[in-house]
Amino acid sequence: MRATPLKSLASLTLAVLVLAGCSQGLLGDGGTGDQSSAPAQGPIVLGMLIPQSGSEAAIGPYMSNAAQLAIDEINAKGGVLGRKLELKTADDACDPQSASAAANKLVTEGVHISVGGYCSGATLPTLPIFGRANIPMIIPAANSQELVDQKLKHVFLINGTGSQQAAAAQKWVDKQGAKSVALMHDNTSYSKDIAVRSQDLLGDKAVIVEAVTPKESDYSANITNVLAKKPDFVYWTGYFQEGGLIARQLRQAGYKGSIMVADGAVSPKLAEIAGDEAAEGVYATMTQTPETLQGAENWIAAYKQKYNADPGPYSNQSYDAVRLAAEAITKAGGTDGAKVIAALEAVDGFPMFSGPLKFTPEHTLANGGFQILVVKDGAFTLQDPLA
Amino acid sequence: MKGPGQDPAAPGPDSALSGSDAPPETGAPQESVPSPGSGSPAETGSAPGSAEARPPGGSRATGPKTRLRGTTKPPTVASRLLQNRWAGLAGLLVAILAPFVNATPYALSVMTSAAIFVMLAAGLNIVVGYCGLLDLGYAAFFAVGAYTSGVLATRFDLPLLATVPAVLVATVIAGIVIGAPTLRLRSDYLAVVTLGFGEIIRITANNLEVTGGPSGVYGIPHLVDGPVAFYYLTVAVVAVAVAGAARLGRSRLGRAWRFVREDEDAAEAMGVHTYRVKLAAYIAGAIWGGLAGVLFGAHLSAISPASFTFLQSALVLMAVVLGGMGSMPGVVIGAIVISILPEILRDLADHRFFLFGVLLIVVMLLRPQGLWPARSKEALK
Repeated sequence: MRATPLKSLASLTLAVLVLAGCSQGLLGDGGTGDQSSAPAQGPIVLGMLIPQSGSEAAIGPYMSNAAQLAIDEINAKGGVLGRKLELKTADDACDPQSASAAANKLVTEGVHISVGGYCSGATLPTLPIFGRANIPMIIPAANSQELVDQKLKHVFLINGTGSQQAAAAQKWVDKQGAKSVALMHDNTSYSKDIAVRSQDLLGDKAVIVEAVTPKESDYSANITNVLAKKPDFVYWTGYFQEGGLIARQLRQAGYKGSIMVADGAVSPKLAEIAGDEAAEGVYATMTQTPETLQGAENWIAAYKQKYNADPGPYSNQSYDAVRLAAEAITKAGGTDGAKVIAALEAVDGFPMFSGPLKFTPEHTLANGGFQILVVKDGAFTLQDPLA
Repeated sequence: MKGPGQDPAAPGPDSALSGSDAPPETGAPQESVPSPGSGSPAETGSAPGSAEARPPGGSRATGPKTRLRGTTKPPTVASRLLQNRWAGLAGLLVAILAPFVNATPYALSVMTSAAIFVMLAAGLNIVVGYCGLLDLGYAAFFAVGAYTSGVLATRFDLPLLATVPAVLVATVIAGIVIGAPTLRLRSDYLAVVTLGFGEIIRITANNLEVTGGPSGVYGIPHLVDGPVAFYYLTVAVVAVAVAGAARLGRSRLGRAWRFVREDEDAAEAMGVHTYRVKLAAYIAGAIWGGLAGVLFGAHLSAISPASFTFLQSALVLMAVVLGGMGSMPGVVIGAIVISILPEILRDLADHRFFLFGVLLIVVMLLRPQGLWPARSKEALK
């Protein structure tokens, strides 16, 4: 009995070491994610981290479908540098731990550039993982300030940032001549960021910053707090479920002033939840969407034809992220990380849905492209491009 | 807390048989207990669940079905294997050799996460498995550890190692703060209160400025350079933690824990200071969880309240129950299964958590006592 386990341990060790010699193990040479030395052949792989499970799972297909659409279009024209593009998606579940494993999976599978990232909290831990593997990241949706503050060379954001959205909100408040503004957020990273930045910009005009608990059905306590300050402008920076309820309950409480919501609340569902009467005239700060773009009809038609569904939030940004990646790789003449990053930094005037692209030194959009929408007959329409 | 191991609804003949003419255990004589490094193996034998360890009313509960074999005829190959004190070393060896088979960043990341999860499960096993205190908010201690080290390291530019003493202090305080008032409660009440504390810690982290609010702490420095080195460091720490927890379970304190679990009133009557003993289990669990939090922060480099939800507490508890409550090798296996299975099923995308759930149900149907149930050394004498 004593010798047996030792023997079996020894044979186990032997077996493992034999395996190690011929595979991806430490003694082998594979799987370090070092593509730059690989020969320039085979498809160019684009990695995309999106939520496919968990609370934000609904967003995933909007992003991956649009990215695939762009890839199919580019491949139909002969690909990039004679190589086809290929999309690899992985589920980040909007959770830092899953995202970190998923990012490592993409790195292991040899992606050349990352075009994903929706939840800011889940995207943060993936930055060093892609960074270590020298993989540039074009982030289509996640836009919290923490992604920018780290000043990482390989990270590019093509969604407007919280500060740009707050600036757009402040512009519109001034234009409307509002005197006292109530800011309401739901305590998520994205929402609070916009509210706090708006408060900074508005100064004395911001009379109250009210945090609400998401996923409740009755916000009358919050609304009583807000209305006690007698605001003539309410800015909700969270998502549409709560936004619709808040708009309705504000009107029910007899509030007569303006209501504005941020881009997370821009959805046809908002008017459904609020009821057409309460939703009418609700403003929104929003980047350009397919619906508000001139000349996007063809794109929407192509998307509909391929997926038998309407494009949704961040479809256009994901589509642009892939096109931008293809452009940068073409300019760089290959997939070498440093060269692609240099090419991205040099991009000037690349046509995107949000307008001609140029990156700031922080790798965010020089122009956030936020505009003001308004609900008319239950749908968001363009009110003011704020150009 | 009634676990499968002591389900009163499953009376069986074996409790009457136990302690009969079982053959002497060949593998592990108690006197020559191996060094702490061997960890989990030797512990198997002493794990709770025996009729002898129970108060006289012990016939209400039964040990695992497989024990019947162990008590009535010579142990089968399988049960010899389970009792083998080399099993833990073999597990450690597998962990050490794994990177030689596959050292891709993905594999290393998943294995490191699994190792950290093992440490969490080992900690919760002290609380739930040994002492029988149902804790539904274990992620709170994990969060306290991760946040303490993360905040100190990023705000004061300290190396992560230097934050460990502070983490120990913080988790012990958290253990006392949470445990002192709640451990006077029993069973369901304790579960509800711990559930509440788990949420309080998470929501506090979500609302404090110093913890970075909802986006959390990022840019946490590495403990060591490179994923391979970090993996080995994690394995080393976790091995010591698992071995430590197993040894603790066999100590005088561990016996007191088992006694409290089996019958608190009887324990009290026999002179066990049950409140103090329970608090000790709680604090030990807190320290294990907190140190796992440090590793977690170093591994991900960013932490946010999203990592410390009730689901996390439930998953750790699931690992303990799935593996076999009170059985350290079982808990280690349970934790590995819980953390690796979703990754193996990753290619199924949307369906993976559905299948994950189905597989867990199947395991519980086929092995209701857990994958590697706790068995007492006493029962095999």
